[in-house]
Amino acid sequence: MLKDITIGQFFPGNSVIHRMDPRMKLILTIVYIVIIFLCKNFWSLGLVVLALIIVVALSKIPVKVILKSIKPIAIIITFTAVLNMFYVRTGDPLLDWKFIHITTGGVITAVFMIIRICALVVASSLLTYTTSPTLITDGIEQLFSKFKFMRNGVHTIAMMMTIALRFIPTLIEEFEKITNAQKARGADLETGNLVQRAKALIPVLVPLFITSFRRAYELAFAMECRCYHGAEGRTRMKLMKYTKLDAFGFAFIALATGGVVALNIFFQHVI
Amino acid sequence: MSILKTDNLTYKYSVGTPFEVTALKDINLEIEKGELVAVIGHTGSGKSTLIQHFNGLLKPTEGKIFVDGQDIWESKKTLKEARFKVGLCFQYPEYQLFEETVFADIAFGPKNMGLDEEDIESRVLSAASFTGVTEEMLEKSPFDLSGGEKRRVAIAGVMAMEPEILILDEPTSGLDPKGRDAILKMIRDYRDTTGSTVMIVSHSMEDVAKIATRVLVMNHAEIMSFDTVEETYRHADSLISVGLDVPQITKVFLELKRRGIPVKSNIYTVDQAVSEIDRLRKEGVSLC
Repeated sequence: MLKDITIGQFFPGNSVIHRMDPRMKLILTIVYIVIIFLCKNFWSLGLVVLALIIVVALSKIPVKVILKSIKPIAIIITFTAVLNMFYVRTGDPLLDWKFIHITTGGVITAVFMIIRICALVVASSLLTYTTSPTLITDGIEQLFSKFKFMRNGVHTIAMMMTIALRFIPTLIEEFEKITNAQKARGADLETGNLVQRAKALIPVLVPLFITSFRRAYELAFAMECRCYHGAEGRTRMKLMKYTKLDAFGFAFIALATGGVVALNIFFQHVI
Repeated sequence: MSILKTDNLTYKYSVGTPFEVTALKDINLEIEKGELVAVIGHTGSGKSTLIQHFNGLLKPTEGKIFVDGQDIWESKKTLKEARFKVGLCFQYPEYQLFEETVFADIAFGPKNMGLDEEDIESRVLSAASFTGVTEEMLEKSPFDLSGGEKRRVAIAGVMAMEPEILILDEPTSGLDPKGRDAILKMIRDYRDTTGSTVMIVSHSMEDVAKIATRVLVMNHAEIMSFDTVEETYRHADSLISVGLDVPQITKVFLELKRRGIPVKSNIYTVDQAVSEIDRLRKEGVSLC
């Protein structure tokens, strides 16, 4: 059941998006998110969506997978859209019934919001779909280590992230093993009310915790044995390098940003 | 009537995805009451998958499983019965201990069966005596025990359910020879006293050969052979060819045979080896 989680999932591939430098992907994703919020009308928003569609096509990630990333936040999207519909009072009235007043302005704002949030979510999931978790943390570390004063802190956090990510599948496997072992001893994990079910989890969670601590000790020991001592003086085996691809990516987003600003000025109509 | 029977049992992992793997293919086997079956096979041969079917932890993709003549997937009730009739002890069972005391941990299974206090206590005590868990240990926290002691407590936890079929997955892995012998002796004693059916999964036959009545050899999701220990060893070279380890003494005799000396090939204990060499010497065959 835990295998069904898709947030932060990585889909291995060899597309141009996959091959880009993780640092560049991080920066460009952030810039992209900023320009989503710079959009003031449907023209500029259309450009932003078009840019996203091009990138999705280049990444060769199946559309089905992309749509799946929106599913978990469907509630938030609906909520925002409904709120906007009721509270924005510009434009012509569409519906006037007791306390409900819906105007054209409200509907337009709601649609605008939906597109905006979807673009935001798809863009950020695209980053995790095309970049392995280890590369993302490495990228973050490299970006921040440019600032000397935060180098050690960033390294520690990045290392913690890497280890945590590395152990998620291990812990899931462990969880399933222990669950099976306790089921074999007649533990009933599937029936009963909430309290009973929570209690039934104790025989699974206690061994899982103990195993995690044991693993943590062993890992710490193994790291020390290999002379791990934090960030200072540590070099990398694989150095990240910006390539032509990254230059193209940079130019692409720069153009999109320029386009958005131009369209905002050209079509003064503000939502 | 056989205590355990499978009928064209097939199991596939991740059905309907590109990762679909057939872990068991058309398994038909019958085990009689009171047998001690050793299940061997190299890693990934399907032996662990097979035993997880016997108490209903895995649902077969195709085929049926009968425990005591009862199809275990017939209803929820039969499935629950199968859980208690077939006691399954996983590999490295010491990592499933969780209670505050050893006593409470061994009592977990019987408690889930809904027995009363007295029954639970007598079962815990008898399981503890089988596994050599002392009274002093029963009061301790399971986390204060040594690795070998934890293993015995965990096995006692399954034995206390008094299953008709006791299945142990690699019960001796990670133990030293002394601990290994102790566990095997314990399992043999348990079977002799209670008359229950026992299955031991292992990837090496050396230790189980001494106590098993029949050996089930798994290879690539299928049954390769299911026969007595002697018969299985008659084909020792085919065991080696599928990546299984045979006792050192068997290897010696296989080599002798290869060099043209007329020895039997189903030798698997040192005693057998000695009598075989005696026989050859009486017949005047030179060994060198």
